[in-house]
Amino acid sequence: MVLSANELTLGYRGQAVVSNVSFHVAAGDVLAVVGHNGSGKSTLVKTILGTLPLIGGELSWHGGVPSEIAFLGQRSEFDTRVPIRLRDIVEMGAWSRLGFAGRIDPAGRAAIEAAMERTGTAAIADTPLHMLSAGQLQRALFARTIVQDAPVILLDEPFTAIDQSTEADLLALIDQWSGEGRAVIMVLHDLSAVLQHCHAALLLGRGTARFGPLDTTLTPANLVDLAYLTPSQAAWQERMFSRDAGSLSGGGDV
Amino acid sequence: MFEWLEYEFMLRALAATSVLSFSIAPVGAFLVLRRLSLAGEAMAHAIVPGIVIGFVIAGLSVASMIIGGLAAGITVALLTSLLARFTIIREDASLASLYLISLALGIFILSAGGSAVPLKSFLFGSILGMDDETLYLIGATATVTLVSFALILRPLVTSTIDPVFHESRSSRPGLVVHWFMFLVVLNLLGAFKALGTLMAVGLMILPATAARYWVSTLTGYLVLTFLFALASCWAGLILSFYASEVPSGPAIILVAGAIFFVSVLFAPQGLGFLRRRRPSPR
Repeated sequence: MVLSANELTLGYRGQAVVSNVSFHVAAGDVLAVVGHNGSGKSTLVKTILGTLPLIGGELSWHGGVPSEIAFLGQRSEFDTRVPIRLRDIVEMGAWSRLGFAGRIDPAGRAAIEAAMERTGTAAIADTPLHMLSAGQLQRALFARTIVQDAPVILLDEPFTAIDQSTEADLLALIDQWSGEGRAVIMVLHDLSAVLQHCHAALLLGRGTARFGPLDTTLTPANLVDLAYLTPSQAAWQERMFSRDAGSLSGGGDV
Repeated sequence: MFEWLEYEFMLRALAATSVLSFSIAPVGAFLVLRRLSLAGEAMAHAIVPGIVIGFVIAGLSVASMIIGGLAAGITVALLTSLLARFTIIREDASLASLYLISLALGIFILSAGGSAVPLKSFLFGSILGMDDETLYLIGATATVTLVSFALILRPLVTSTIDPVFHESRSSRPGLVVHWFMFLVVLNLLGAFKALGTLMAVGLMILPATAARYWVSTLTGYLVLTFLFALASCWAGLILSFYASEVPSGPAIILVAGAIFFVSVLFAPQGLGFLRRRRPSPR
């Protein structure tokens, strides 16, 4: 176990946004955090990062608070008009280990090159930030996350406005992190194919939370209950889902 | 045509503004990148009453100017964030209100108190004003600024580009930002004798905005900002030497303004009139 949360109450200045939040993440787990706008997803992210104090409950890091949580925030909070190159963004992943002025050693340099190679950004390493597409920027930020080499990785809506092939490449990277025994927590904007790469889900909504394996947590009943879907959307989704399941299992009938 | 080299006050002014350019350029560069240009402008006016009260109480001393300026700067910054937090007025509006009050108060005290410094040099600077104390102040400002930048450059870059990432990594994320604002006030005070309180912030902003049009690396940006600041100071001082009725502040800022407009017109990331016209991509 890396992180466990017991009956958390989260919010700002004593005002609860969501309570009864319990979940746990083990090494190699990929946890999806899903919920409607204002359900407390960002509040949870800040709480895990330690920038927002808990109102109640207990958040325990087993094996000590990690020295580094690799965090990738929403791109809307990113300023691309600063005159730097893609390579500098990836290097930022190494800065916290280097302190104020330490130089990057050859091993660190090699790690940065490898991360750009892995994310397919090596060829555009010297491109200025404002010339990058959304997908290229996100690849660079994933490369930065690789360079951080952290046991816990926290991603906030990493696939919003990203094209399909970039999404596929980055999802392969998440699978790799999971295989390397890192714990990945990922806030998702919508219920997409991305969920196939997750092992568990935390559903937030209506001031409360549900946690468990995907198939028992993200059920139509729960999604309606926690205001993620309207009943008619859920019924439609269920019909689509059962038709898919039918065609998969009973293939010979037609 | 080099007779200005024969005057000691001119040599002092050239030396002082050269050192000042080293220090004010990186501060201005990050002020622009952090989208704080207008906040810097407001801050420059907000520190006026502090400087003036220092003058009236303790006379023309650098120490009183620094203490007064810093006190006024911190007071206005604190009041601004308090008003933004606890009242319905937003931060920009409360800052604008406070700096206007502050500037008016400063000029009022200066005129009523009958200071030895003429209002025109106070507001717009003078090349005759570079006494020993001012040179020491500029030297100290440059030293503090450059050492600070060596220490805070990485967190400052991170918090400028990706503030949430910076917060996730730092136990005291606000420290870098507050230290940076302190450097802004310090450099405004350093620039104040040569440029005047109304023009000092111009040397911070204009070289930085002009340089941004030409470069796409941070090192290139900082170097070019410095070169533009230096060129503006030298050309402006010489201009002010010949047109002796013109105070040095507006002369320097007009040169910086000319560099800015040339950059807007011809630089690759401006309107790019020098760029070879390529066939349109579509």
